Amino acid sequence: SAFVPPEMMQQQQPYTGQIYQPSPAYTPASAQSFYGSSFEDEPPLLEELGINFDHIWQKTLTVLHPLKVADGSIMNETDLAGPMVFCLAFGATLLLAGKIQFGYVYGISAIGCLGMFCLLNLMSMTGVSFGCVASVLGYCLLPMILLSTFAVVFSLQGVLGIILTAGVIGWCSFSASKIFISALAMEGQQLLVAYPCALLYGVFALISVF
Amino acid sequence: GGSAVIDMENMDDTSGSSFEDMGEMHQRMKEEEEEEAEGEAGAAEEEDGEFLGMKGLRGQLGRQVADQMWQVGKRQASRAFSLYANIDILRPYFDVEPVQVRARLLESMIPVKMINFPQKIAGELYGPLMLVFTLVAILLHGMKTSDTIIREGTLMGTAIGTCFGYWLGVSAFIYFLAYLCNAQITMVQMLSLLGYGLFGHCITLFVTYNIHFHSLFYIFWLVVGGLSTLRMVAVLVSRTVGHTQRLILCGTLAALHMLFLLYLHFAYHKVVEGILDTLEGPNMPPFQRVARDIPVVSNAVLNTTTKTVALTL
Repeated sequence: SAFVPPEMMQQQQPYTGQIYQPSPAYTPASAQSFYGSSFEDEPPLLEELGINFDHIWQKTLTVLHPLKVADGSIMNETDLAGPMVFCLAFGATLLLAGKIQFGYVYGISAIGCLGMFCLLNLMSMTGVSFGCVASVLGYCLLPMILLSTFAVVFSLQGVLGIILTAGVIGWCSFSASKIFISALAMEGQQLLVAYPCALLYGVFALISVF
Repeated sequence: GGSAVIDMENMDDTSGSSFEDMGEMHQRMKEEEEEEAEGEAGAAEEEDGEFLGMKGLRGQLGRQVADQMWQVGKRQASRAFSLYANIDILRPYFDVEPVQVRARLLESMIPVKMINFPQKIAGELYGPLMLVFTLVAILLHGMKTSDTIIREGTLMGTAIGTCFGYWLGVSAFIYFLAYLCNAQITMVQMLSLLGYGLFGHCITLFVTYNIHFHSLFYIFWLVVGGLSTLRMVAVLVSRTVGHTQRLILCGTLAALHMLFLLYLHFAYHKVVEGILDTLEGPNMPPFQRVARDIPVVSNAVLNTTTKTVALTL
């Protein structure tokens, strides 16, 4: 006695419509007709993402050897993966020392990059892109990570700490200015570029020390 | 009446698609918008009736009009931005060599003797900007070493606000006074002069935030602060005619500059001298009453001892 609409009574036979029949031979080769390139033809994931480990390693070495001559062309492609990792690592080493200051690290990085971007655009003949500035400053943060790692175990507030901090600030700003000079062809102005970098890294050092 | 009839002359058949009529339509839309803004409260319905003969189409046309307004507004804003935010106009002021900057830094501490003809002021902004940032860094360092707590705001914001506020604000004020007193100085020159005058402040604060003796600070305040103030005053005097004008201008500048240094020392580095010296001193003598004119260290130690004893009781 359930109410069944009269239309349903008529449709007792099963539906045999042929709206879609998948073709029986579905292989990757035939997928070429549907997609642009096959799975084998796709570029590797890292290349698609633009992460080139060899360049990252080259740039890291350039930062770590202060006397190594920088190649101006390595800064042509802006790579923000490395700097992001370095900022995170810096925050993590600060965390190990009991300072939860990721916000300060990111805020100071952003403001510092913006300031350096404006200054370098004003001082150089050719302009510079924001990504390039952020990339260089991020890479040169690496010695600061070593300093904050050191600060996890030893206190930096003695004379040795001051000397070490000053040395690391000098190292970071020297590397950054060296890369900027070679990339922007600003000979003779390395000190003028190094000083604002030193101020920026000095603020990072303040976070590490105190 | 007339709401059932489509008023064709009000219905613009361009409807945003014809490029040539865009400006005219935009102008009319703007006028309509202004009228609407004025008569918002009362006459909204009447405006609608005037705008279009038919109310039903207003929604659709309104959307298109809004879209056009957005496009026009965006175009105007980008044009204004490219005109005013063009930092290339500042480019000549940053074209310096390191030797020049060093020479100007040293010159900023040497008062000129010749005030009979106008002294040259370098219209450069790199040195002053770096000095202001250095002052910010020194202030931050001072605040951190003395554990200064800023209740409303952040350390960084306070330091940047103070330093940039002084540099830009006092420059503008002195430029205004210079305009009143008929002095020959431009705004960029004033910014440059005051910026280089902060070199003395940087030296003084850097030394006295680390070596905590009040008498040392006063000596530095008078000598170093005084020298940089004298230099600025001499340059301004050489560019101003008339005794009263010179007095007003230079008196104001000298007062502001010296007082700023005093303010920076006392407001941003609360030195708890006793505790700092106690931590450095090897022997802490017990509670004892000593006369005030003994050396600073043991006096400070005495003060600390009494304070700690009072606190523990």
